[in-house]
Amino acid sequence: MNILQRLLDILRIWEMETRLIFKDQGVLLFIVFVPLLYPVLYTLCYNKEVLHDVPITVVDQDHTALSREYTRRLDATPDVQVISLSADIPDALQSIREQRSYGYIVIPNDFSQNIHQGRQATVSAYCDMSGMLYYKAILSANTNLMLDYSERIRVSRAGNATARQDELTNRPIDYEEVYLYNPTAGMASFLIPAILILVIQQTLLLGISMAAGTAYETQSFSRLVFTRRKRHTLHIIMGIALSYFLIEVVNAAYLTLFIPYCFNLTQIARPLTIMAFMLPYLLACIFFSMTMSALIRNREITMIVFVFTSVPLLFMSGISWPWSAMPAFWKGFAHLFPSTFGINGFVRINTEGATLHDVRHEYLMLWIQTAFYFITTYLVSRHILKITLRKRQ
Amino acid sequence: MRQPYDSVKAFLDVFLRETKRMTSRPIYFYGIVFAPLFCLVFFTTLMKDGLPHDLPIGLVDMDDSQTSRTIGRTLDSFDATHIVARYANYTEARQAVQRNEIYGFFYLPKGLEQEANSFRQPKVSFYVQYAYLVPGSLLMKDLKTGAVLLNAAAMRKQLRAKGLTDKLAMDFIQPIVVDTHPLNNPSLNYAIYLNNTIVPGIMMLLIFLMTVYAIGNEIKYNSARDWLERSNHSILLALTAKLLPYTLAFTLIGAVVDFTFYVLLGYPCNSGIWPMLAAMVLAIVASQALGIFFIAAIPTLRLAMGFGCLWGVLSFSVCGFTFPYHGFYPFIKGLTYLFPLRHYYLIYVTQALDGFSMAYAWRSYMALACFMLLPLLLLIRLKRNLIHTNYVP
Repeated sequence: MNILQRLLDILRIWEMETRLIFKDQGVLLFIVFVPLLYPVLYTLCYNKEVLHDVPITVVDQDHTALSREYTRRLDATPDVQVISLSADIPDALQSIREQRSYGYIVIPNDFSQNIHQGRQATVSAYCDMSGMLYYKAILSANTNLMLDYSERIRVSRAGNATARQDELTNRPIDYEEVYLYNPTAGMASFLIPAILILVIQQTLLLGISMAAGTAYETQSFSRLVFTRRKRHTLHIIMGIALSYFLIEVVNAAYLTLFIPYCFNLTQIARPLTIMAFMLPYLLACIFFSMTMSALIRNREITMIVFVFTSVPLLFMSGISWPWSAMPAFWKGFAHLFPSTFGINGFVRINTEGATLHDVRHEYLMLWIQTAFYFITTYLVSRHILKITLRKRQ
Repeated sequence: MRQPYDSVKAFLDVFLRETKRMTSRPIYFYGIVFAPLFCLVFFTTLMKDGLPHDLPIGLVDMDDSQTSRTIGRTLDSFDATHIVARYANYTEARQAVQRNEIYGFFYLPKGLEQEANSFRQPKVSFYVQYAYLVPGSLLMKDLKTGAVLLNAAAMRKQLRAKGLTDKLAMDFIQPIVVDTHPLNNPSLNYAIYLNNTIVPGIMMLLIFLMTVYAIGNEIKYNSARDWLERSNHSILLALTAKLLPYTLAFTLIGAVVDFTFYVLLGYPCNSGIWPMLAAMVLAIVASQALGIFFIAAIPTLRLAMGFGCLWGVLSFSVCGFTFPYHGFYPFIKGLTYLFPLRHYYLIYVTQALDGFSMAYAWRSYMALACFMLLPLLLLIRLKRNLIHTNYVP
């Protein structure tokens, strides 16, 4: 066979497979509708980015002008909202029990006395731990207020003559904090890029496996056998991969370029870098899915087998639980999945503006996975074809 | 005349028929036993440290003085941070962040010590990436503390020069302190915070799928009529007898999960283990009921399962344990009631975490119980579908 014939053969398989995909509602559901709809639903949940006005109560045991001012200024912070003054601690706890508030602040009765006499005063913050963001909000509101108060008190005690002296009293060494890449520390900007990438792998896995399951059920035994004519295994793999690849290129453009633009997520990458990175990711995902699909003997069980893995896979990528704190065994295990490198590479390109050179490790790993899963797909397919042909005879 | 004894016999018959089906194919073992237990092992071992420590950071020390070296040592001594590298300038450090080698860095300018000693207010900066939120916020806390301590040291030097004692100096430097008390999870253990919701959430996703699959399978393989006949044509008996084996199996798994969390790993369980077991059983039955509802409303197996996937995966964002309920758009707030995981999460917070009396959680218990009424709305429709629907792939 010459090259032209080979290409024509691959194109014919591509055409047949694409027709099959668009005829099959179940496959379409995962290859087209889920990637289209799911990120939108997800982003809607997180799109407010940060939590504002966490309801808390204040137990003011001091009852002085100073303690009332502290309460007022606490209420004025964006993080928390003082919904009421509690008479005592049991009262404040009751409010938490009824889920009206998520924490309380105790201003002890020696608060203003201590400040006036130049001694250290204490404020206690108690946080409900049902969500880390509640804790973060209450903590940061009080810490910022405390720092601000401390500066004012120091200035009043120092008795300086000029504003510059005041500044030096408070901060002999000035400091500034910089939030890199996600300046509001927002939830959507952090989580959504990872989810977008995971969606690509998981929908491909479900779509391709479902197609394989259907073929198995409908007695064609394998998606790989299209005609009675014997075809080259390599051509079949390439043809099928091509049809998914072309669909996924559109999906990937929608997910990695349109959604971040639409929901105003941090994106400081050059589109060209994203595209270059997505190429091995898509290929790795396609061949990974084609290998896995050999395990599937039935249409519907694909969902039972694969859907729940999304949650562990998200954690395995190190996006929420830091990679440096992960046990070695799971680090090794995570190397099996394209999503691990896809998520890490994409987040750093998209959110941190990294270049391909910066993510070369992930980029290389994706190409290695592509090659590895291509070979496994070839072996698995050849095996299945052999069995099929034997059964046919 | 139909005897009550007939119903018992029919019930046993269908129950045994189902257990036979469950043991006939590996997918049942996979979905009921393997998947939940894998996730249990994965998440408990992944986060066994509770709180990530020794997160890699960098130091850009342009000053190379006594002061700057002290800062390096101080930062390294914090629990969450570990200085893994020193960089010659800002750009190098930023590139290391983009390569994911460090999560942030501290920048000490040239002339720091000299300017601090001569009251010229030098400025230090720290940069923390927030593309990875958890390590970001943990680091920011520590680096900020580092900067405040650095200031305190400089202030103390000045005050000592003015002749103040260390006690007086401390009162001046820190006129107000905030002490925080994270209630019932004092070590900010992420494993406690996340696993209590993630693992039951994955179970519920699998229950949706297994329930839809078990019923839809009867339609697909044309065995629904046989199933109904054996149940004396009572759809209620048919459903309860068929699904009871799943309820029992999942309850057993649920008990293993609760035992692992509250006994083996010692997660806070201030209500005692029984209310949590009760919540688990209710959540399991509620999820089964929702599964029945899906397949009754959408008689196409793959679409009903697809819907189960969507519901199960959305549960994680909608239940409000990552991004809290307070931050949702109003229409999403309304939607949360339709997810059993939301109610389970509320019960967990009120009972196991906070140890409040059951009286404060009754609404959530009731809500879970209400899910059981859901299939009743569509029983007749389901029966009709079972008899008349033909499977279309």
